[in-house]
This record gives sequence, C-alpha cells and structure tokens, in this order.
Amino acid sequence: MANGLANGCIYILLAMGFNIIFNSTGIINFAQGEFAMFGGLFAYTFSSALGLPLFIAVILAILITAAIGGVMERAVIHPLRHANVIAAIIATIGASIFFKAIGFLFWPNEAYKVLDFTTGNLSLPRVTVSRQFLWVFGLTILSVTLVYFFFNKTKAGKAMRACSINRQAASLVGINVSRMSLYAFILAAALGALAGLINAPFAKYSIGLFLGVKGFTAAVVGGLGNTFGAVAGGLALGLSEELITGFLTIVLGVSTGYQEAVAAILLILVLLLRPQGILGKGIVEKV
Amino acid sequence: MIGDDSKSQQQRPHARQGGASDRVLSFLKAHKALLIFAVFLGVMPVWAEPIASTIHLDIVLVMRLVGVFTIAAVGLNLLIGYAGQVSLGHSAFFGVGAYTSALIAVKAGFPVWIGIIMAILASALIGLLVAPVLRLKGHYLAMATLGLGIIAFVFMREMTWLTGGNLGVTSIPELSLPGVPKNDISEFYIVWIIALIILAFCSNLVRSRTGRAIRAIHQSDVAAAAMGINVSWEKIKIFMLSAALGGLAGGLYAHLQGYIDPNLFYITLSIQLVAMVVVGGMESIWGAVAGAGLLIFLPKIVETLPRWIGPGVPKPIADYSNYEGIVFGLILVLAMIFMPSGITRGLSDLVRYRRSPFINPFKKQAVE
Repeated sequence: MANGLANGCIYILLAMGFNIIFNSTGIINFAQGEFAMFGGLFAYTFSSALGLPLFIAVILAILITAAIGGVMERAVIHPLRHANVIAAIIATIGASIFFKAIGFLFWPNEAYKVLDFTTGNLSLPRVTVSRQFLWVFGLTILSVTLVYFFFNKTKAGKAMRACSINRQAASLVGINVSRMSLYAFILAAALGALAGLINAPFAKYSIGLFLGVKGFTAAVVGGLGNTFGAVAGGLALGLSEELITGFLTIVLGVSTGYQEAVAAILLILVLLLRPQGILGKGIVEKV
Repeated sequence: MIGDDSKSQQQRPHARQGGASDRVLSFLKAHKALLIFAVFLGVMPVWAEPIASTIHLDIVLVMRLVGVFTIAAVGLNLLIGYAGQVSLGHSAFFGVGAYTSALIAVKAGFPVWIGIIMAILASALIGLLVAPVLRLKGHYLAMATLGLGIIAFVFMREMTWLTGGNLGVTSIPELSLPGVPKNDISEFYIVWIIALIILAFCSNLVRSRTGRAIRAIHQSDVAAAAMGINVSWEKIKIFMLSAALGGLAGGLYAHLQGYIDPNLFYITLSIQLVAMVVVGGMESIWGAVAGAGLLIFLPKIVETLPRWIGPGVPKPIADYSNYEGIVFGLILVLAMIFMPSGITRGLSDLVRYRRSPFINPFKKQAVE
C-alpha cells in the first residue's frame, strides 16, 4: 500500500507538469518523462559521482532540468506556436527521443542508484515506513501546495491561467503569452526533475516514456488541466496499479508483467467513459 | 491535388465506356509516376547487386525493408495525413500481423501466404475492436492509441504460451512463390509488387468518394457530417484499412526477418512509422515511400560511413547506435519546424507553385 502511495506521489508530480504545460500552451508534452529522467540522472551524478552534499545535488539537478525545459520551449515549442496539433505532438516526441539519446550517451548503464535522502525506516504504531517514503510524501504535498498558491495567488500564476482560458484575450489585456509558455515549461521541467529524483531507488535513461505515460494517465484520470485532479488521478493510479496487480498475481496467478498494461487500460477507459476526468467539469465544445 | 481530382473525374466516364484496352491505358496514364517508379525498381537489382560489396551496402536487401515499411506508412498516412486522426499505436497492428503470420506458418505449418492473409484479417479485426477510441480527438486520440500500443506490447511479451515471450518466434519460413528461386532478389520483387499494388490502390482511394469524405473529416468533422458524410463509419473504415495494411506489413516483415520478438514492436516502432509519414509528407501517397526510404536508409548509410572512410574512425563515432536517437529526434523536430509539409509536399509545392518548401501550408489562422 505504501508502495502504491509513493508511486502515486510521483505520478502526481508528473501529472502536474502535464497540466501546467497543457494549460498555458494547449499541447501535451511527450518529453515530460524525460525531464524526470534528467532529474534522477543529474542527482546521481552530482551526489554519487561528484560527491556533492545531497541537498545541493538535488537543487542543482532541479535547476539544470528546469533550464533544459526552458531551452526546449524556446527551441522547439516557440517556433511551432502557430502550428497544428499533429506538428506539436511530433515535435515533442522528437524532443523526447533526443533527450533519451542524450541520456544514453552520458549515462549508458542500465541503472544508477540515487541515494535516499535519509536512510532507514521509521516505526510508527502498527506500521513501519521507510524515511524515503516520508520524504516523497512531504515533498509532493509541498509541491502541490506551492503550485496551487502559484496559480491562485501570484500574478504570474493568474496570468498563466488566463492564457489557458483564452490566449488571445490574455494577450489583449497585456499578458505576454509567449513568456508564460516559457515559464510553464521551466516549472513543469522542475516538477518532472523532482519526480525523477525521488523515484528511488534507480534512475536510468530509458525511464522517460514509462513515466510519461503514467503521468499523463494520472492527469487524464483526474481531469486534464486541474491541479487537484492531478492529485486525485495520481493517487488513484498508484493505488489501483498496486491493487490490480496484486489481484492479478495473487488471485488469478498470472505474471506481474501485466502491470505495465494497467495504466494504459485505465487511460483508455477513462478517456472513453469519462473524458473530463474524476474532478473535471463537463466539456462543451464550440463549433 | 485539386488538379489531379478533376483530371481523374474527366477520365473515368471515358474509361468506363471504352473497352479493356482503354481502361488499361487510362490507368497507365493516371499512374505515370508509379510506372516510372516500378521500372526503376525492376532494374534496381541489375545495378545494385554488383556494387553491393564495393559500397558495403546491399541496397536490394535494404529496399526489401523499405517496401515493407512503405506499406505500413501508406496505411498510416491515410489515417494521419488524409483523415487527420493521429495513431501512435500502429506498432500494435504491425506486431499482431507479424505474430499471426509467423505463428500460423511456424506452429500450424500452413503456407506463408495463408499466414499473411490471416495477418491482414486479424489486424483489421483488432482495428474494428478498438475503433471506439476514434471518438477521441487530437492529443487524446494520440495518447489512447499509444496506450493500445503498450497493451499490445505487454500481451505479446506476457502470453508466453502463444508468443514465446521475450524469446520470440524463430525460424519463420521466408517469402516464396511456387516456381521462383528463394533468395533476396525474389523477396525484393515480391515485397515491391505488393507495395506497388497497395500504392496504386491507395492513390485511387484518396481520389474516390471515401477519400474525399476523409479529407472533409480532416477539415471539420461537423461540417463533414452536415454534408451527409457518416463520420464515424468513414473513420472506422479508414482505421481498419490502415490497421490491415499495418498487419500486412508486419506479416511480410516477420517472413523477411525470420525472427520476431516483442521488443521489435514497442512504441518506438509506432513513432518510427509516424515519423515516416510526417517526414515523408502528410496527405501524400509518395510521402510514405520517401519517408520509409529516408528513415530506413539513413541508419544504414551512417552505419557504413566508417567503412567508406577507413579504419581511422574512433569507436564511439563508428558505433551508430550511440547517437541514433539524437539524429532521429533532431530530424523530427527540424522537419516539424522547417518543413512541416514533408519532403514530397515541400518539393512538389516548390515546383508547382514556386513556393518555398519551408512554408507551412497547414498553418493555423491567427484568429480562431
């Protein structure tokens, strides 16, 4: 159960990244999982390979990944701001392949161990949880709160929400839409990096697509574009993966390999049956 | 495109009134480019085989794969380019086709061609079963089909009693026709004869009623419905056709390679197919040929480059797999930014309208 919750937290962080970019630019960033990959691998490099203190390594990893997100927005998304959906999809896929190849070039091994923030377990009455899990939980709650306050209380956050409602109207009232898109990528990349580096115990170059699909599923399950939807979707996905896999292996006795399909099946079912997500409002489409 | 349409409509009544020879003549007139391409392919082994060892690249061997991927890409182009429905799950159909054909040939011992026909049927059936996802649009459809690809991959890997899991299926018989010697060159001809038939079929299809219907859906499905087009049925039809072509390509691929395992049919394959469509040219039958040719030949050429240069190339550079993804990713991004209409559309627009190939004809209007 704790495992499902921890995975759920990582999915929440990824889903928020998807939401932020979707809200301010209207596109789905297929490279979101690769931000997580960079987060984990940079944290490994700075802490284990270069021997920096873990705290500084984590901050550096997040900052560098955020910078990568910003560069990606300027290099890939900005030139395509007037292009159609298909072009944007393909371009972010191209970026994700590119990032994965960069990851493979510099970190070619199968997996790298990222240090736990604090090792050992914590004994609470009745349950024992690892301290790392508490870190995951705490950092996720902190990030969700910060993102919520950013979008609802700060000027930049409100401007970003305005872009999501109507980009043209937003630009008419003086919001720099293109800069909001840049901020969104930086923020989403930072959240992705955080997800990647607390995704203990291992970081590897090929994790991006896997995490990206999970994060998108969580975002869709909760309702695309909705911060609290991401929380609900992430937890629902993490727990249901755990439960369904447990059910499959223990009750039906089939291989755990099917776990990978659970998120995909959930994604398709939610898209077909309730496309607005658990917490989303109905979508009215104007013709 | 519009010019082609009116021409074919003028010819059609004439062709129907005339005899068989007239009909053949008008078919040949309508498919001049295809004929030239067929002749080019027909003589290819004559000049490509002798130079194969000199340039360290067996063009005929690579062209067999180009043929297979052309079939899959042309099917996907009908769906993405013409109907505007993005599928990131075509690896599923390709894989289903490959496994169906391979298992029927290896485990049941049927002739190769029965397996390939079953592959087409199985993929089309799967296409029909998953057709409800076509209700989704844009990103949502892309992600749902991506999910389908993942599900298919997981099932191929986990149903070990049928598919052999990660070990895959081995010693799949090669493509052959009775009375024809079994070798690479005959396989090359078999694959390309099928591919050319498919190309001719698809270039006729896109000028037919169905072709106009799916292009109308691409523009606006509400407007298409208002014109009396059965939008969901047209989408399902084109999706099934696209799936069937994916299955055909997968079946041929299995027999060409002689060995398949689930990792060949991961999402990366879907992305490669989409890349062929996009880089080659959307809404263009020839785009599929150009895209498949470019993306299959590029890695092979880069792999052989060190051999042309000589032994002095450092090992990290000689090993193409190190930076294959970097090249591939850059091609996708740069193609989207600088040549969003693809190679064939870009070049034909350059010739026909004297327009720069770097202008995006699909550009959204500023005011929505």
